[in-house]
Amino acid sequence: MNVALALLWKDLLCEWRSRDRVVAMIVFSILVVVVFQFAWPDRSDEQTLALAPGVLWVIYLFAALLGIGRTFTAELENDAMTALALAPGTRGWIFAGKAAASLVLIGGVQALTAAVFALFFRVDLAPAIGALALVVGLADVAICSVGTLFSAMSVRSRFREVLLPVLLIPSLIPVLAAAVQASAAVIGGEKLTLAAVQPLIVIAGIYAVLGFLLFDPVLDD
Amino acid sequence: MSRLRLSGSGVEKRFGRITALHGIDFEIAPGESVAILGANGAGKSTWLRLLAGLAKPSAGRFVAEGSEGGGPAAPLSRERLRGRIGYVGHATLLHAELSARENLDFAARLHDRRPTRAEQDALFAELGLAEFAERRVGALSRGTAQRVSIARSLVHDPDLLLLDEPFTGLDEISAERLSHQLARLRRQGRALVVVTHDPQRAVELADRALLLHRGRLQEPGPFEAAALRDRLLQLAREDVAGARA
Repeated sequence: MNVALALLWKDLLCEWRSRDRVVAMIVFSILVVVVFQFAWPDRSDEQTLALAPGVLWVIYLFAALLGIGRTFTAELENDAMTALALAPGTRGWIFAGKAAASLVLIGGVQALTAAVFALFFRVDLAPAIGALALVVGLADVAICSVGTLFSAMSVRSRFREVLLPVLLIPSLIPVLAAAVQASAAVIGGEKLTLAAVQPLIVIAGIYAVLGFLLFDPVLDD
Repeated sequence: MSRLRLSGSGVEKRFGRITALHGIDFEIAPGESVAILGANGAGKSTWLRLLAGLAKPSAGRFVAEGSEGGGPAAPLSRERLRGRIGYVGHATLLHAELSARENLDFAARLHDRRPTRAEQDALFAELGLAEFAERRVGALSRGTAQRVSIARSLVHDPDLLLLDEPFTGLDEISAERLSHQLARLRRQGRALVVVTHDPQRAVELADRALLLHRGRLQEPGPFEAAALRDRLLQLAREDVAGARA
């Protein structure tokens, strides 16, 4: 557990100083919001509400890919990856720390994106903010878990930029399906039910546990 | 004094179709300092990473034994072995965005240690790094960063220090300074395993040499710099002659 906290502290401190992941994610997210805004200027409120979950999740997915892709590339500099691999005990805690740092960064960017989206599309997300945060948070646990695992697996490959999305996107299809449906319900004013978030809870749990257990051989030579 | 004994029999390491180590037998006794000598591509770094618990042998048996709390020696899992060794690579293993102290703190926390500021300062002072403690590692010279890397590797007080070509990329003065500091650590009772292609450094830092050539252990001959250099050249000439034939 201490290893996970140490990594969380280190990753957030490094990001605070370099800002390379967050800036890329924010620029991308805002750019896509602006593009969608110009692509469909004359829309009704109903059309906007119908469009919102899809637009948000397209942005969230690809912004997360940008962030997760950089999770381990920073560790390649000076071969810091070896220092992580040398940590004694269960390497699952390294996975947990890395995934937690990605969760914080991606979650922050998503919150900002939601605010910009609400401003540009004139959608009032305030009544749904709590339920939407829960849905996005659960989906993020799944995205960051499987993303951290695949990022570590692909980071030493020459084709990592291609390999990561190829591995990650298919494994996230059930997450996205559940997240888009639940988001559509809460943005549309419905009450969030356990049935709506149950798939996300199950998938997030499975991916987190699998990531924790499978991480050990990933750091081996 | 190191309480670690590392031994292997028939240890082999393969990467796909390439065999880096061909069934080597070895034993490194507690407290012993050993140099692993060999030309580029001989398999030295692969062997060291195996000793560090960073890889598993593809075949053969590698055993790390150590005692804890004054008890009898017992085999250690790879997870526990990693907690008992310090590792210095030719890369520094440091984070450029963090200061030397932050790197030290992070490395200690990875080993579940929380050294006090005074303990950190003592380690920095020992390695001549007192004035660099708060500087960002990315702004340090290669030689200074390598000394910070040694501080990082010592922060959890390991039984054995593994060094993989630690002089790579250092100018003569920095290499000499590093060599003196490693020799001092050895005099203080710290056991070292040094991977190098330089026989002079091997003789300065170790009690004996293990000579690796194309993934196989060879008879090293007398433990003197000139004799080891001759032996390495002889093996290289045999390679060239073999390639011509």
